[in-house]
Amino acid sequence: MNEMSILDPVLLIAIPLGLAFLIPLLGLVSKKIVRWIPVVGFLFNGIVALLILPHVLKQPIIVKIGGFVPPFGINLYAGSVGMLLASLIAITGFLVSIYAVKYITKGAEQKYHILFLLLLTGATGVVLTGDIFNLFVFFEILCISSYALVAYLGTRSGLEASIKYLIQGSIGSSFLLIGIGLLYGQFGTLNMADLARQIVDYTEPSVFVSMVFMITGLGIEAAIFPLNAWLPDAHSSAPSSVSAVLSGIAIEVGLYAVIRVLFTIFAVSNFFIFFMVLGVLTVLIGEMSAFAQKNIKRMLAYSSIGQIGLIVFAFSISTQLGVAGGLFQMVSHTLGKALLFLCAGYMIFRTGSMEISSLEGIGKKMPITALCFTIGTFSIVGLPPFTGFASKFMIIRAALANGELLLQILIGLVLVGTIIEGAYFFKIIQTIYFKGAHKTDNREEAPVTALIPMLILVSFIIVIGMFPNIIDKVLQPAASELLDQVKYIGSVLG
Amino acid sequence: MNILYDYIYYAGAFGLIFIGIFTMMVKRNYIKVIIGLSILETGVNLFLISVGYISNGTAPIFSNPGIEAKNMVDPVPQALVLTAIVIGLAVLSLALSMAIRLYKHFGTLDLQQIKEQRW
Repeated sequence: MNEMSILDPVLLIAIPLGLAFLIPLLGLVSKKIVRWIPVVGFLFNGIVALLILPHVLKQPIIVKIGGFVPPFGINLYAGSVGMLLASLIAITGFLVSIYAVKYITKGAEQKYHILFLLLLTGATGVVLTGDIFNLFVFFEILCISSYALVAYLGTRSGLEASIKYLIQGSIGSSFLLIGIGLLYGQFGTLNMADLARQIVDYTEPSVFVSMVFMITGLGIEAAIFPLNAWLPDAHSSAPSSVSAVLSGIAIEVGLYAVIRVLFTIFAVSNFFIFFMVLGVLTVLIGEMSAFAQKNIKRMLAYSSIGQIGLIVFAFSISTQLGVAGGLFQMVSHTLGKALLFLCAGYMIFRTGSMEISSLEGIGKKMPITALCFTIGTFSIVGLPPFTGFASKFMIIRAALANGELLLQILIGLVLVGTIIEGAYFFKIIQTIYFKGAHKTDNREEAPVTALIPMLILVSFIIVIGMFPNIIDKVLQPAASELLDQVKYIGSVLG
Repeated sequence: MNILYDYIYYAGAFGLIFIGIFTMMVKRNYIKVIIGLSILETGVNLFLISVGYISNGTAPIFSNPGIEAKNMVDPVPQALVLTAIVIGLAVLSLALSMAIRLYKHFGTLDLQQIKEQRW
C-alpha cells in the first residue's frame, strides 16, 4: 500500500472534507482565495480518481480504515462502480465550482463553498463506502448540506422548497436508519459484504421488512415516483450551480444507494417487475409534468425525474447490458443536466426571468451559451452523435434482447416519454432561436469562467457520444460488479 | 404477558416513531412538525438502543479478569445512536433556523398557507 499512497481512495473523501473546514481559516487570510478552494479540491479529486480507475477495473481496492479487518471496523470498497461515480462526481464538481467562482457573488459566500464541498464529499463517501451505517452518515452529510444550499438565496421560494425537502428528507433518513437497525438486530453486522453473505442463507421473509424501510428511505432521495414531491421545488429554487449538482449528482447517488442495497445486499431477483413499472411511471409522470411547465428550471427539474425513471427502468432489467445501460444513462444525465442548468443559470441571470417566453432572442444575444444549451437538450433527448443517444440506445437494446413481451411494451411507453421530452425541449429551442425577430446589437455573453465549464461539458458529451467505447471499458466491469454478489463478498471478506 | 415483556422496548420505540410520523404529516404548524421530527428521531434512537440491550447488562469493558462477556450490552448500537443523535441535532437546528427565516418572510408558520409552488 505504501508505494501507491497517492492513489489511496481515502484521499477522495479526506481532502475535500479537510478543505471544507479549512475555508473559514483561509477566509481570514483572503476573501478571494476561498472561491478557488473547491476548484483545487475537485481538481485533485478528479486526477486521483482517474488515476485509480484503471487499477480497480482489474481488482477492487478494499481500504481497511484503522487496520481493522472486515467485517470488523469500516471499510471502503473502491470498485469499478464506486470509482466511475467518484470520478464523475469529482469532474462535475470541478466544473461547477469553476462556474460558481463568478456566479456566486451574493450572500454568505464562504458558507456556500463549505456546503458545496461537504455535499460532494458526502456523495463521494456514499459511492465508496462498504459499511451500511457509514453510508447513512455520508448520506446525511449530503442531505443536510443540500437542504441548506437550496435555501441559500434566502428567497421565499427557496425557503419553501428547502422546508419541504427537509421534512421529506428527514423522514426518509429515519426510515433508512430503522432499516439499518432491523438489519443489525437480525444479523449483528453492518458490513455490506458480511450482511450479503448472511442474507443469502437466510430464508425467512422478515428480512424484506428492513429492505422496504431502506428502499423507501433511499427512494426519497433518489426521487423515485411516489416519493419525489420535493424535487421540482428544490431543484428550481436553488441557485443554478447548486441545481446542477443536485440534479446531476445528488439524485444519482441516491439511486446508486438503492441499486447497491437491492443488488448487493439483498440480491433480490423476483420483484424487479415492480421497479420496472415504477420506473416507467416515473418517466411518464416526469415528462408529462415537464411538458406543462412555463418556468425553465422547473421544466429541467421535472425532466430529471423522467431521466431517473429511465435509469430505474434500465437497472431493473437486471441483465449485464441493462445495468451497463443504466450506468451509462447516469453518466450522460449528469453531463447533460449539469450543462443545461449551468447554461440556464446565465440565461436567467441575463434576462432576469425564469419564464420560457422571456428567452426569446437569447440565441442572438448569448450565442455560445445558447449553442451549449441546445447541445445539452439534444443529448438529454437522445439525438446522435451525443451521449444521450448512445446510452438510450444501449437501454433499448437491453430491453429488446430477450424478446419478452412485457419489456417490449414497457420500453414502448418509455419511448413515448422520450417523444414528450423531445417536444418540450424543441419548444424551448424554437423560442431561443426563432421567436422574437427583433435584432439585438448588444451581445452579452456569459463570463469566461462560466463558458469554460460549459464548453468542457459539451466536449465530453460529443466525445463520449461519438466514441462510446471509451466509457464502455468501465461500464462492463461496473455492471458485472453490481450483478456479481459472490465476487463482491469474496473480495471484501477474502 | 411474557411476550409483551420481551418486546416492550420495541413497542415503545415504534410507538414513538408512529407518533412522530403522524405529527409530521397531520400538523399544519411548522414548529409542531419539527416537534414531530424530534419525536421520530427519539423513537429511532430508542429502537437502535433496544436492539443491543440486555436487562441487567453491564458495560462492555473488561476491567478485571473475572468478567464474562455474556452479560455485556452490545456497544455498537450505542455508538450508532451517538452518531444519530449528533445528526439529528444538526437537522433540528437547521429546521429551527429555517423557522425563523420562514416567519420573517411569510409572517406565518402555518404550512397550509405557504404554497406558492405547486406541481
